[in-house]
Amino acid sequence: MSEQAIPRKFQRSRRPFSVLGIMLGLVIGIGAGLFFTWGLSPVEVVDTEPWQLTDDDKTQYMIAITMSFAYDSDMGAAINRLVGLRLPGDPIQAVADTACVLATNGYTNNTSGLNAVRSMMRFYQLQGRTGCADQVIPANDDPGSIVTIDIPTATVTLTPPASKTPTPASDVATPTPLFVAVPTSLPQNDFELVSVNTACDVGLIQVFVVELNGSTGIPGLEIRARWDGGESRFFTGLKPEQGAGYADFQMEAGRDYLIEMPGRSDPVSRPLSAVPCTTESGARALTSYTVIFRSVS
Amino acid sequence: MSRFLLSLAAALIVGVLIGLYIGWVQFPTQTIDSPASALAQRYKDDYTIMVADGYRADGDLSGALERLRILNVENIPAFVQETAERFITNSRDLEDIRALVILAEGVGRLTPIMQPYRPLGQGS
Repeated sequence: MSEQAIPRKFQRSRRPFSVLGIMLGLVIGIGAGLFFTWGLSPVEVVDTEPWQLTDDDKTQYMIAITMSFAYDSDMGAAINRLVGLRLPGDPIQAVADTACVLATNGYTNNTSGLNAVRSMMRFYQLQGRTGCADQVIPANDDPGSIVTIDIPTATVTLTPPASKTPTPASDVATPTPLFVAVPTSLPQNDFELVSVNTACDVGLIQVFVVELNGSTGIPGLEIRARWDGGESRFFTGLKPEQGAGYADFQMEAGRDYLIEMPGRSDPVSRPLSAVPCTTESGARALTSYTVIFRSVS
Repeated sequence: MSRFLLSLAAALIVGVLIGLYIGWVQFPTQTIDSPASALAQRYKDDYTIMVADGYRADGDLSGALERLRILNVENIPAFVQETAERFITNSRDLEDIRALVILAEGVGRLTPIMQPYRPLGQGS
């Protein structure tokens, strides 16, 4: 028999294993192993982490984080805990978005809910984020800032009735005291605080004073910034490129400020704190505020 | 044929081992949508402390109890007491202990072991 007559497959050296058998065995084996470990006998979860919680419980966890922050102001701890929730995107903005949902779905109908959302607002506002809760829950609606003032009312003094005893006529003309009516009125503010919004940039307090229509700026009005041990007064309209009713004030880091229109408005309900913050790009900056006063008449 | 069967059997064993490694070690199943009651103890403790801090901040006891309810414990005051006492016994962070003691006192579960951790000026 010549060599040419032998089929080629008999000319190759025979392998000690079957490639097809190996491939088939691996596929079936791995498949069976995964089916067993993922389907029949998965790893028993004994250490559930916050990111594995349901959405509702994540929300409660988030609220607890901001409530805790309200007590200790430990931003690092709060951020670490938020990161543990593995929220999509910017975790601080996620707090703002959650506060928005809570503020609009009736969660704030009781004091506890309101406290919770306020703590969330304070948290994200300090980091320069905004959310719809800022509009839904007014900045000046803090129950703790309500001050009851007992205003003394004028006592009406009745004119005594005319005496029945005739008085002798006198030749001397008695000068009649001049009666001067002094109109009295309750102290009334000309302007009301409309909103306080925060941003994270250069630590500036930007004040806008507007007419009742909410858009026309009013120049030449005095604004006062007070802090522990000092105050500064500045006026609207000195930077016309920013608008007629605009004025601003540069804060110093770590200091708290009260802003008001002296004698014409109440001060902001809580101090504006120049606290460090982190911008969305990750840069360190200082909290800024935009304060709007509006004429009430 | 026997060569094929032997190869198949050997690869099957290796494949199963690989599958077990992948499924149990490398990429184990990850449970999501777990209730807060399934949290690991350290996170339950952390959550309880945060709620206690919130109570220190606003004094809202009903709000604190409402927040603890998601842990699905049978008796919340007893749970707070147990947590506070465990923290004291294990010499955990002093501020955490103080927060828990204040909350325990709020829910009427102040015990003698907690007395030294009450805020100054409230000692008996």
